[in-house]
Amino acid sequence: MKAASLTVLRAIAFVLLALILCGVIFEAAGFSALDMFSSILGGAFLADGALIQDLRWACPLFVSAAGVLVAFRCGYFNVGTQGQFYLGAIGAAVVVALLPGLPGPLVILLALLLGIAFGALWAFWPGWLRIRSGTDEVITTLMGNFIAGLLLIWITSGWLKDPAGSGQVTASRPVPAAMRISDSSGVSPTILGITLLVAIGIWVLMNRTAFGVLGSLAGRNPVMVTWQGARLSRLGLGAFLISGGTAGLAGAMEVLGPDGRLVSGFSPEHGFTAVLIALVANLSVSGTVIVALFFGGLASASLFLPVIAGLPAAAIDMVNAAIALFITARAWPRRLGGVRR
Amino acid sequence: MSADPPALACSGLTIRFGDFVALQDVTLTLGRYRIHAVCGQNGAGKTSFARACAGLIGSATGTVEIASRPLRIGHVAAAREAGVELVHQSFALPPSFTVAEAMEFGLSGSTGAIFFRRTLNRRWAKHLKALGVEAKPKDRIRDLPVETQQAVEIARALAGDARLLILDEPTAVLAPGAVDALFARLRRLRDSGVTIIIILHKVREVLAIADTVTVLRGGRLVDGPTEATEVTAESLARSIIGAAAIAAEAPEDQAALVGASIPRGTHAQPAAAVTAPLLSIAGAATAKTGDGPALRQIDLSVGAGEILGIAGVEGNGQQPLVQAIAGLIPLTAGRLTLDGTDITAMPLAERRRRGLRIIPFERNTEGLSLSSALWENWAARGLLGHSALSLINPAKLRAEARAAFTTWDVRFETVNQPARSLSGGNAQKVILSREIDEAARLIILAQPTRGLDIGATAFVWHAMREARKRGLGLILISSDLDELFDISDRVIVLQGGSIAGDFTAPYDLHAVGTAMVGSAAA
Repeated sequence: MKAASLTVLRAIAFVLLALILCGVIFEAAGFSALDMFSSILGGAFLADGALIQDLRWACPLFVSAAGVLVAFRCGYFNVGTQGQFYLGAIGAAVVVALLPGLPGPLVILLALLLGIAFGALWAFWPGWLRIRSGTDEVITTLMGNFIAGLLLIWITSGWLKDPAGSGQVTASRPVPAAMRISDSSGVSPTILGITLLVAIGIWVLMNRTAFGVLGSLAGRNPVMVTWQGARLSRLGLGAFLISGGTAGLAGAMEVLGPDGRLVSGFSPEHGFTAVLIALVANLSVSGTVIVALFFGGLASASLFLPVIAGLPAAAIDMVNAAIALFITARAWPRRLGGVRR
Repeated sequence: MSADPPALACSGLTIRFGDFVALQDVTLTLGRYRIHAVCGQNGAGKTSFARACAGLIGSATGTVEIASRPLRIGHVAAAREAGVELVHQSFALPPSFTVAEAMEFGLSGSTGAIFFRRTLNRRWAKHLKALGVEAKPKDRIRDLPVETQQAVEIARALAGDARLLILDEPTAVLAPGAVDALFARLRRLRDSGVTIIIILHKVREVLAIADTVTVLRGGRLVDGPTEATEVTAESLARSIIGAAAIAAEAPEDQAALVGASIPRGTHAQPAAAVTAPLLSIAGAATAKTGDGPALRQIDLSVGAGEILGIAGVEGNGQQPLVQAIAGLIPLTAGRLTLDGTDITAMPLAERRRRGLRIIPFERNTEGLSLSSALWENWAARGLLGHSALSLINPAKLRAEARAAFTTWDVRFETVNQPARSLSGGNAQKVILSREIDEAARLIILAQPTRGLDIGATAFVWHAMREARKRGLGLILISSDLDELFDISDRVIVLQGGSIAGDFTAPYDLHAVGTAMVGSAAA
């Protein structure tokens, strides 16, 4: 597959360019670029436990990014991943809070499902506005992120607030152990299993169903599929609901998994990084797996840098931002430019 | 010819767009005070030639001299200074302007000065009258009929000191009667001392107007300028198309391809009138849309094994008609019946399931998704028959697409290449291969040969005849009367959103033309 290897080369080129840019800035700021990169590499992949840390971040990032790629391929720029992720987390926390007496596995199942439903709901209204009246979904989903962030603060400092909390960070009561899907390491058979299921599900959806082919056609030329008799409203709403649902699932996984409670303002970079992952992977499902592992590594390095190497964690933000810069400069007009009418 | 310097002399004129050579090494001298026709097929380089002479193409190389004075290539202002004016294929006048405003600002290009409407109107009324243009200075451009818009555009071009007027396919938008009026106008201009270069692609029109004939083929000068008196329809057609290409065409298509004589529908078969119609439209009406006027009281039917031609000046309801049959715009009255079933309220997917197929007007936007792979474009029709989550086998779809493309003689490398990589004719074949399938019952072809070269045009016609033989019903919408007359069993004329005439072979060009322009010109 020529196209696939081109995609990989392209992604690697972006990352290398971004790293060169960062190297120059590190040097200019008085750090040794070599030290910085070797520390990032160590923190991301080589140090003890780095791979586990990598997976801990990569799994939820992948689940969200998989939804992003569905929406983007269908031509809808749902950038509300962060908000849908928060809503999913709230959904899971609500189930845990309301149904303490039920058996653990049942609560987990219901919590994941409500997480998906809440995430999908948070994508539904921008999708509906877009399809009904052409409201720009970039703006509505982006605004939805802020509303969701405030909802999270409101619910964690109000109804779900843990009275025993320290007061520094507001959070819900801890999720009982029986209702967790992993310990604080964030890596467990359940989490890996869910991630794998999402990967297979989204791959089949995009490559082996009528929805995938028609959605991709509609993303590139909605007029043409209209003349073929497709109902764009259904395809589009489907894409919104799926992308919201996966982001919601990722949020629920965080609450039931590594976090073990609903924390105000947790993982603030999650949605942005998920969008970036999907774009670096050129909206391919298998590419997203690899790129998610890479960004998972960067996320774990950002915790490693200040603690172990004594270097500023902001270096990781810079790497992320530099990659985003190159991706948006190059990929947007190429792959996505033809999509908007 | 007199001893005057030539109106235009170009030497080694070459135009490249990337790898594509639009015009190659054209060396040509055109004398003054004459009407020079430049003709050729689509893609022969006619428009590029016209634009280069008017200074619109910066990348042109070679030299252009106007009245023996070299022209700076790619400078519109310089060309204008030298008295060269171009009337574009699609008009460039702002629709919301009044005639006087368009004349004034089209000329000066200035926007800053304060002006008084009355002064403008008075100034241009005289000019319009002198040129015999029947438009009032205070009319809005958008309210004028298309032939008057064109006359205003020509008047605008002549507002300065134009000595060389270039018209790019001016007849493409006109009804037959308006073409005669345009030609008369051009002759008057010539007699008043303007040299005219007119780009045309129909042999009949070339012979009607030209003093000299120049032929381009594939970006090269193949013939000319030759005195029109030394040219016959056959010899001109041969040099436009190339002798080898024309011999390869089926005899029934040759005449229409050449356009030299008006075919009288001699090849059309009698309609199978005994069977119930495949599609019937009864009393249909729509609201006005951005694409055209409201349809009013449309009654038509197409039987099995019949080709119904729809003629009309563009923008007289052709687009709303196709959209209404497709179900993309609602009917405000009337009903549609396909094969005995009332489909008025059905969505397009359901209509397609019952055998409706559409080859839409815009090949590159409505017909194909250019950045998507060929197989995806082909598979779209079949996929819509299933629920969205039904599983598909891409390998099988690719193989089916490959087989269909081979049957339809599409020139392609792989089914994964984007549709953008195909030429117009090949792209149209992809659409044909998708829309003319086993389950097709009624096919609407909207301008199916527009922009295609001669070989692809003949291919489309052949496909239509084959479909008719199989007993399908076809509706052909075309602005090319030669094409319509050659292939249709019946022709109806759309004018202002209603049916203005219903004709059967032998077709009367004059009667059809009169119906096309409506009562105003009749």
